[in-house]
Amino acid sequence: MNAITDGCAIVTGAGGGLGRALALELAQQMQVAGLGRGMAALEETESLAGGNFLPLQADASDPVQVAQAFEAARNTAPITLLINNAATYPRRDFLDETAGSFMDTVAINLGGIVTCTRAALSDMTATGFGRILNVATFADMHPLPASSAYAVSKGAARIFTRALIADIGDRFPGIVVNDWMPGMLKTGMGIPDGLDPSQAARWGAKLALWHDPSLTGTTWEMAAEIPPPRSLKRRVADRVLLRPRVKPRHL
Amino acid sequence: MGSVISEPLADITARHWDAIVIGTGIGGGTAGRALAEAGLSVLFVEKGREGLRAEETGLDQGIFDPVARAVRGLWPDPILAEVNGTRQELFAPLGAGVGGSSVFYAATLERPEPHDLDDSEDRPHPTGGWPVSFAEMQPWFDKATALYALHGDPDPLSDQPNPALSAPPPAQPGDAMIMERLRANGLHPYRLHTALKYLDNCAECLGRKCPRACKMDGRSAGVEPALSTGNATLLTGCDVTRLERDGPNVTQVIAREGCEEIILTARHVVLAAGALSSPRLLLASASESDPTGIGNAHDLVGRNLMFHLNEIFALWPGRAAGFTGPSKSVGFRDLYFKDAQRLGMVQAMGMDVGYGEIVHHLRGRVARSWLRHIPGARDATRIPAAIGAKLMGQAKVFVGLLEDLPYAENRVTDEAGRIALTYRIAPELLARRRAFRRHIRRAFKGQRTAFLTHAPEPNFGHPCGTLAMGTDPATSVLDASGRVHGIRNLWVTDASVFPTSMGVNPSLTIAANALRVASIMGEER
Repeated sequence: MNAITDGCAIVTGAGGGLGRALALELAQQMQVAGLGRGMAALEETESLAGGNFLPLQADASDPVQVAQAFEAARNTAPITLLINNAATYPRRDFLDETAGSFMDTVAINLGGIVTCTRAALSDMTATGFGRILNVATFADMHPLPASSAYAVSKGAARIFTRALIADIGDRFPGIVVNDWMPGMLKTGMGIPDGLDPSQAARWGAKLALWHDPSLTGTTWEMAAEIPPPRSLKRRVADRVLLRPRVKPRHL
Repeated sequence: MGSVISEPLADITARHWDAIVIGTGIGGGTAGRALAEAGLSVLFVEKGREGLRAEETGLDQGIFDPVARAVRGLWPDPILAEVNGTRQELFAPLGAGVGGSSVFYAATLERPEPHDLDDSEDRPHPTGGWPVSFAEMQPWFDKATALYALHGDPDPLSDQPNPALSAPPPAQPGDAMIMERLRANGLHPYRLHTALKYLDNCAECLGRKCPRACKMDGRSAGVEPALSTGNATLLTGCDVTRLERDGPNVTQVIAREGCEEIILTARHVVLAAGALSSPRLLLASASESDPTGIGNAHDLVGRNLMFHLNEIFALWPGRAAGFTGPSKSVGFRDLYFKDAQRLGMVQAMGMDVGYGEIVHHLRGRVARSWLRHIPGARDATRIPAAIGAKLMGQAKVFVGLLEDLPYAENRVTDEAGRIALTYRIAPELLARRRAFRRHIRRAFKGQRTAFLTHAPEPNFGHPCGTLAMGTDPATSVLDASGRVHGIRNLWVTDASVFPTSMGVNPSLTIAANALRVASIMGEER
């Protein structure tokens, strides 16, 4: 396996919004399998793609459904790319949540990433080659009201990215894993005057097809790498002590 | 767990094998391959996990959790090392997985010099010589050279033929440049003998696991070819706990597979758990007939432990040269034997040091000096380091391997399943160390150099000598054929067998000796 595009990409939540846009963008270059809970929406993505797109009805957080979907995807080509995009953002005050409704959100937003990542790694660890892009947010930094389950689950998903890298980063440098924040989008989950998801998808697809081990563990927002945060004191110290500066990359 | 390849555990324990090989590093892997290729049925028993073949895990990393270490094929526990009376716990550069430590090694398989093995008038051997002469080893060195696909230049200072050595690919700019500098100083550098097949897109996986059968190690040149003969089976995650002896035979190999105790039997048992573990297994096999362990009637098992002392130094070849890339595979033997003393060879370590490493080094110097009491002194080292890096460019790092000699009080023992060693740096070794460092400094006269090692630094990755071969059962554990004195079916093929540590990396001699011992075993079938 020499290129990500030689294999099959899996995009979760491919029935609409950013997931559909990412699938369409990638399908121009490689085989894509799109996971989603509604077949009708996936079939719409398929017709928009005009080829290279395999619709697979599956709940990303259900290991049995995911296993079946991945098996079908694998039959087209080995899985080289996973974009964990599927997420739900129920606006709900915590007093209106039950423990059950809260954990349902966690199951999709965190459980979906865990389930699909575990399934994709079966292919990727066999070859030592692959790419995992997690669509992430800053929602955990300063949780908004009526967003507790979303903030917690997406925050946990970011921790999962780091924990996954702790387990496989050193053993499989050829499996490149990182987080990408698409920005505020004009999608069902986003805001009315947000960014066109097809623009964000061009960045996301470009980043997803960029197979450079040094990307592992980096965080990207829209088209730019976000350097790890440094305090003011640290920045001053770095300057005084002549520590080399690392320039953030752009797509 | 998938720890058993090709056969259910019940079939493995029911079978009487031609040979059980304990450990799958260079010694076990190479011996097992030779036996399997000779048609013997071979069972490899490996304590570590099988792992995933595509892994590229490196050896040198800050992972301390025993589970995380075991998953990576690293020796899970720290060893207990008492060096010069100071006890410390440290993670030795040891592997525990298929291929043992060798999957992580830098694949430098250097041939020793005749005087490493032989006693002669002008170069008397400290033990009177190995029970196997250099001439007897020569064909096995050649076979191992071919088996491990060694690429490199013949040593210009040696008149020994090395017919199986293949020419290396063209030198990288860093190597070519450093060889030129060394020659200008009157030294005789050559491209080290490296166990790489240089397959297409070879990434030269030195110091880390190679995801293909390109770097030749105990796994790719031993276990895997053995398995492909169809005569060998591999059992991983299986920890051998003791051997049972009845008269002149080892009758049972007792092991823990998961939570279960299993008993394995074979006509021959090949012990190749490494010089820190093979003796511990014999010590753990104490019984009524062997009250202090098998082969230990003269209290020699685990004793005479040797390492090399690593003398690491940086050489600044000049600013322009710093941009040519690290020098990976250059060494020289000009200081190997000097002033009637056994020193050792010098090799490039495959890394450049720049700003970051200089800071680390200077901090170490500050920490050892009176400056340590001054607040901020540690961080202030960054300024001279940055200036230094700008002025002098990148430094090339070299290591001199100083031969260690056997002393009975230096030994490895078992402490509740952990490796425990007691080691004292002999005054004689310290004197040779001083001479070695003086010679290194002199060899680079006119060049900017700095030693990066201050206190004597045993290379815990090169243990040997703990079950030494010899002709006299009163002074050695093994006979000249690598067999425990008085036991006809217990053989050792790892670095435990070395009577002396030599001035080169141990791997080629381990592999060559494993082939030799396997051939003797094959004749006795």
